[in-house]
Amino acid sequence: MPLAHGIGGVRDLPVPESFFFSAAAIVLVVSFVALGALWRRPQLERRAGGRPLPSALERVLRSAAVRVVLGAASVGLLVLTLWSAFWGTVVPIENFAPTFVYVIFWLGLPLLSVLFGDVWRVLSPWRAIADATVWVLERGGREARPLLEYPARLGRYPAAVALLAFVALELAHPRPADPLVLGIATALYTYWALAGMAVYGREPWTKGGEGFAAAFGLLARGAPFAESGGRLVVRWPLTGLGGAERVPGTLAVVAVLLGSTSFDGFSRTTAWQDLVGEVRERLVDASSGRVDLTLAVVNLAGLLAFCAAVALAFLAAVGTARRLVRAPRPLAPEFVLSLVPIAFAYTVAHYFSLFVIQGQFAIPLASDPLGRGWNLLGTAGYEPNLSAVSPETVWYVQVGGLVVGHVAGLAVAHDRAVALFPRREDALRSQYPMLALMVLFTVGGLWLLSRG
Amino acid sequence: MKAIAYVITAVLLGLALAGCGGDDEASTSTTTETTETQQTETTQTTTDEVPLGATVVRVVVVNGVPSGGIVRETVAKGDRVALVVTSDVADEVHVHGYDVSRDIAAGGTVRIRFKATLPGRFEVELEERGVPIAELTVSP
Repeated sequence: MPLAHGIGGVRDLPVPESFFFSAAAIVLVVSFVALGALWRRPQLERRAGGRPLPSALERVLRSAAVRVVLGAASVGLLVLTLWSAFWGTVVPIENFAPTFVYVIFWLGLPLLSVLFGDVWRVLSPWRAIADATVWVLERGGREARPLLEYPARLGRYPAAVALLAFVALELAHPRPADPLVLGIATALYTYWALAGMAVYGREPWTKGGEGFAAAFGLLARGAPFAESGGRLVVRWPLTGLGGAERVPGTLAVVAVLLGSTSFDGFSRTTAWQDLVGEVRERLVDASSGRVDLTLAVVNLAGLLAFCAAVALAFLAAVGTARRLVRAPRPLAPEFVLSLVPIAFAYTVAHYFSLFVIQGQFAIPLASDPLGRGWNLLGTAGYEPNLSAVSPETVWYVQVGGLVVGHVAGLAVAHDRAVALFPRREDALRSQYPMLALMVLFTVGGLWLLSRG
Repeated sequence: MKAIAYVITAVLLGLALAGCGGDDEASTSTTTETTETQQTETTQTTTDEVPLGATVVRVVVVNGVPSGGIVRETVAKGDRVALVVTSDVADEVHVHGYDVSRDIAAGGTVRIRFKATLPGRFEVELEERGVPIAELTVSP
């Protein structure tokens, strides 16, 4: 299916030119004003500790009961997804699995993570299964010990690979929403997550190998809620993005997030769709298997090119910054977290309407997950409101999201620069290439949205 | 009138098939002629079967792909749309967003009429093949 974003077939109307130019102008002005006007002492890192939540609230949030209920619910949803995918209707939009995976899970969790912190830690079904397994083992008097020590140099690379596999399924596979395809992919990923935790231990694999945990964990870094010094704290948003991130592979995870979203936007443009159409026409005599394979390769090449372009543009910017200030060490780990707000902004801009419109279909699907005419929860007759958001609202959210993400990324990079370079001129100079990079990403994102 | 149109379409489909052999010149001439028939048919369908004032979006599917590429049409919100698909392969025509689906037989034609009440860009797809054949833009 040539549908972008795995499921849907409905595209937003292109952002009008007036929106594009005014937003781009705002971005440029804000960027240059920010250069001169922002704080001169680092602010983020020292505020990341925040204030502890009231202990009564913390006790409830961390109680075994909450943990067990959430874990059971998420394992239940995983089972429901697999069950629907393998035994439900083959019609994607009448099956629970595609809408749940591509809309509720893949778009809902980034939002939850940015708002409430690293919720995936308690919502991941794989983590819940692993925790339960360890609990049972330990109750039986045995020790649950990982087989191998996780090699530190692998960092987040395995997670980036896992994430890339998921977005390749979503954006490059000919039939990403085919329930059976999705069922097999979910089963394989379950194996990847569980086997990795069994071999390397729960914590190392969650951090380095489980793609969603790594992605949502990075997005959660900017959230106003976090765990700090053993307590749950509330803090200013973005403060958790201060500081360097030296775990290898972090850039790879961010590049997959940003690159996949921008490729998704690009693949919805008329130009790309016509290219795909042309490939189809040329292969008109070929077997459908060969057409599918060719299109998958074309899409995969596009996806990889966008991910690589994001990473290379970032490396070029930090490389230039390093030369400008003659920094002794590479600056990539210092500034990589400034891309996180932009990655989230891209997600909001590209998927807001899909989330609001397509997300509503989860309500009737929850009552009839297999598409067999059931009405388990009494919601099968729910009629999604397809005009829930006007095109104008979508445009404002898209453009507003990108501009806010840009400013946030700029602030994080600026904070890191003043923390790193004692001399103000150095801090300023290191920011010219970073600023160019962010203007490129933001105006590029706006451009994708304005393409017909 | 209708029968004549079908004969013309059939002849053109034959030409289109021949054109796919790779001869560039043949393909070009086919395209031009297809456009002409489309016009003939459009006039005819407008008077005969489609409510007055409806925008007709006509798609001819040859070998499972839209002849001449993805058909793009823009209408204003509230307009009536008549989608007329002729296909040489059996499949299911699906208008996304409006979620209307009609089975189409090999060599058959389906007409899908609806009022464009939702703004946005909507893909029309041969559902089983997963091939997009048209895109309808409904401006607010």
